[in-house]
Amino acid sequence: MTDERSECKPDAKRKRDSAQPQETLQPSRDVLEVKNLKTYFFTDEGIVKAVDDVSFRVPKGKTLGLVGESGCGKSITAMSITRLISPPGRIVGGEVLLNGRNLISLSEREMRQVRGAQISMIFQEPMTALNPVLTVGFQIAEAVSAHERVSKREAWARAVEAMKAVSIPDAEKRAKDYPHQLSGGMRQRIMIAMALVCHPALVIADEPTTALDVTIQAQILELLDSLRAQYQLSLILISHDLGVIAEVAETVAVMYAGKIVEIGAAMDVFHNPKHPYTQGLLRSVPRLGTSVEKRDRLYAIEGTVPNLLHLPGGCSFAPRCYKRTAECTLAEIPLERVAELHEVRCIHA
Amino acid sequence: MPDVAEPLLSVQHLKKYFPIHRGVFGRVAAHVKAVDDISFTINKGETFGLVGESGCGKTTAGRAILRLLEPDAGTIQFDGIDLLSLGKEQLRRKRRDMQIIFQDPYASLNPRMTIRTIVSEPFAIHHIARGSERNDRVADLLKTVGLDSSVMNRYPHEFSGGQRQRIGIARALALKPKLIVADEPVSALDVSIQAQIINLLADLQQQFGLTYLFISHAIPVIEHISTRIGVMYLGKLVEVGTSQQICTAPKHPYTQALLSAVPIPDPAARKERVVLRGDVPTPIDPPAGCRFHTRCPIAVDRCKIDEPPLRQIEDGRDAACHLV
Repeated sequence: MTDERSECKPDAKRKRDSAQPQETLQPSRDVLEVKNLKTYFFTDEGIVKAVDDVSFRVPKGKTLGLVGESGCGKSITAMSITRLISPPGRIVGGEVLLNGRNLISLSEREMRQVRGAQISMIFQEPMTALNPVLTVGFQIAEAVSAHERVSKREAWARAVEAMKAVSIPDAEKRAKDYPHQLSGGMRQRIMIAMALVCHPALVIADEPTTALDVTIQAQILELLDSLRAQYQLSLILISHDLGVIAEVAETVAVMYAGKIVEIGAAMDVFHNPKHPYTQGLLRSVPRLGTSVEKRDRLYAIEGTVPNLLHLPGGCSFAPRCYKRTAECTLAEIPLERVAELHEVRCIHA
Repeated sequence: MPDVAEPLLSVQHLKKYFPIHRGVFGRVAAHVKAVDDISFTINKGETFGLVGESGCGKTTAGRAILRLLEPDAGTIQFDGIDLLSLGKEQLRRKRRDMQIIFQDPYASLNPRMTIRTIVSEPFAIHHIARGSERNDRVADLLKTVGLDSSVMNRYPHEFSGGQRQRIGIARALALKPKLIVADEPVSALDVSIQAQIINLLADLQQQFGLTYLFISHAIPVIEHISTRIGVMYLGKLVEVGTSQQICTAPKHPYTQALLSAVPIPDPAARKERVVLRGDVPTPIDPPAGCRFHTRCPIAVDRCKIDEPPLRQIEDGRDAACHLV
């Protein structure tokens, strides 16, 4: 099955390359570059800066982990990249360069050709993301026919092949199943098969394992990582779980209140966190196998995440920060480099 | 914790089956064996952690112990009394000593009630304290869980998840219970808020000498808060031991796989893990013999026929496996 796949993959690639000659002209190895992205929501109560000046790159075959608590803007960042923001939300600034092409300036029609074919998404809840009245094979095949001129039979064959690639046993038979006949882990595999069937350059996985049990989560993370290596996929993995991020990401971006507060290589961010928020997050999770010294209290970050409608001036984290000084609230704090490829938004770092 | 271990709750051979009705006449076609013969004891002042994946029966066990669901078989000794022998009225009075904290702080607080009404409801049900005294008690409870008493006239939607969970905890504490069943109390909360609530629960335990039955799928959380841990799989307890025994040297192959699946927040700790094949089988028709044999990496022929009983394998630790 792997032979078949490696045969068909360069084929699909060639098709895409010929459609966009500018791809080959780009010297950059970054598949995705997000520059100063701003997505605001214009609500009756005021402007919510859900994503505020976010920049990062994802090189070919690498994984970026986007981590943060609920409401920090990590999912809105993903939806902005795929341009799935609906009113009152709007992308008000910045660029999203996919292989050098700015997606923000594309028409909705052009964008529809990008989604699913060049960028695809895997969502948290596989039950709500699948149509309950269609067989899973049909739904994967549909993704193929939407982007490529293929016969029904061929699309079906591609669907079955994609299901084999995500290690679904008995794929020919399972393709005729409806979503409710499959377990949560199997449904998430279907979602991954659907995301990969058109051989996208970039896959965005938004909390792909949050709804799953830990033993199934381990299977899915392992699968995602092996598919990334096998097909040289670029992956953005969004999660609130620091463990999941540490498991697969090479680069980690920590978001707080719409901004990236720290970004760097996973080793640096996890072993040498510079931003007080990153430090606090890492210290507040209980660690497995530490029962000997565990009678200590957990470290807890005081207070709660601020309301994005009424953000404090300057650093948004300042009210909860143990390092805060008067200067923190005076002006916007820039993201500054503290080491090679390690940037932090804190004047006390 | 008291020096001499004194049991507060003793559960023996607890079973809870849910009938599945089929056909026009709704005949019972099968049973979901949600909890199938589990036994454990919880000592005064300790925290017993019940851990397992979804559908393993941990929540059903928690509810059956409080008789929020009527158990089908077994005995429950609580504070020297046989809970299952109590009549409705006696049980209602006994419930003062056993309270529950729910997972979803959004669904467990009535949106049309003020915080004052929610927290004073236990007093109303049990006819305790009235008027200004009741008010004072509510204010005290809110202070105990870290909320200002000025929030009393507000409604649940005005609070964040963490604050709502504090309100749920205040309600559970109102009648000074002996046992609190905490069913996934921090699972719906953000990481930074989780730590606050876990610390609060630990403080309250110290302050009031509470005993917890802490139910969760999050193993590091269970390890942090529990004195002893019981691991469930498909309605059965497969291993019981101290927190340290279970989390640093698991013996049952399922416990080992479960622990090895936990992602560690350290990129240097990426490890070779025991990845279990397949999914959890259905509890309607669980596998014969050892229920874990279909996914077990070390299963032998005997495991398919003989069901291993939970037996003591070393001091303080029980496991249900032929091979340990």
